[in-house]
Amino acid sequence: MEGFFPQSVFPIFGIWVRDTVISTWIMMAIVVGAAAVVGRRWPEALEMLIDFLNDTISSAMGRPAGPYLPFLGTLAIFVAVANIIGIVPFVVSPTRDINTPVALALIVFFSVYYFGIRAKGLRGYFKDLASPIFMLPMELISHVSRTLSLTLRLFGNIISTELIVAVVFALVPAFLPLLLVAFSMLTGILQAYIFTVLAAVYIGAGLEASE
Amino acid sequence: MAEMEPGTLITLVTIVVSGVGILLGTITPAIVEGRAVLKALEGMTRQPEAANDLRTTLIISMALLESTAIYVLLVCLILIFANPLLERFFPGG
Repeated sequence: MEGFFPQSVFPIFGIWVRDTVISTWIMMAIVVGAAAVVGRRWPEALEMLIDFLNDTISSAMGRPAGPYLPFLGTLAIFVAVANIIGIVPFVVSPTRDINTPVALALIVFFSVYYFGIRAKGLRGYFKDLASPIFMLPMELISHVSRTLSLTLRLFGNIISTELIVAVVFALVPAFLPLLLVAFSMLTGILQAYIFTVLAAVYIGAGLEASE
Repeated sequence: MAEMEPGTLITLVTIVVSGVGILLGTITPAIVEGRAVLKALEGMTRQPEAANDLRTTLIISMALLESTAIYVLLVCLILIFANPLLERFFPGG
């Protein structure tokens, strides 16, 4: 199983850069380039994508997605591309390293407070959070634990499907891994959808007034 | 059993525990998810106009249920590939 888990490649200012970080850079270049090309040649495709994201996020939050669409849509596209970029040879999925899901989940964790405080003000937000005062510890614990579960769900799903592909490839190198690669692409898209919908649900719950 | 190297017992127990753990940890979420899908399908056939809401809720709850199986899988992966007990009791071995 050497080479399956992320490895440090080269140091920058004493910080070791892992191969998953390099594939994140490749992925960013691909996404920006694809957005530029598709936006110029087929703008309708981008509109379809944005409409889909808008509908999904609005129905998950139970309110118009307007101000939250840029953040959540970026999250969705990043996670989806990061999950399926692993099928390109010599490029590993960034989400295979646990640091990427941790970073994404922490962004969601802080954005709940950011959007909640921006919508209701600092006092209003914490008053709603602690409306029966004994519920405040529960709320805070649930904020931490759902961040942990967001992280582990994304990481565990990606690493398990890739591990299955690796094991089947070691046993039957011909044709059979192909089906599992298709399955892992499906899982990746589904996980991106779930990650986005859960982030939208968390942000929407933070916006709701408790009265 | 007399000529066991240090660490063999821990490795043995780790393998057995991983096998049993992944067995129980996948059976339980599978049964519960099956029941969730069953109920959602019943609801969809009874009220087709509510199918979209049901589908979204179903996918989210399936993800939440699925994550319990993922926790078991991660614990088993840590036990197999990065066993902390082996390094603690037999450093360098």
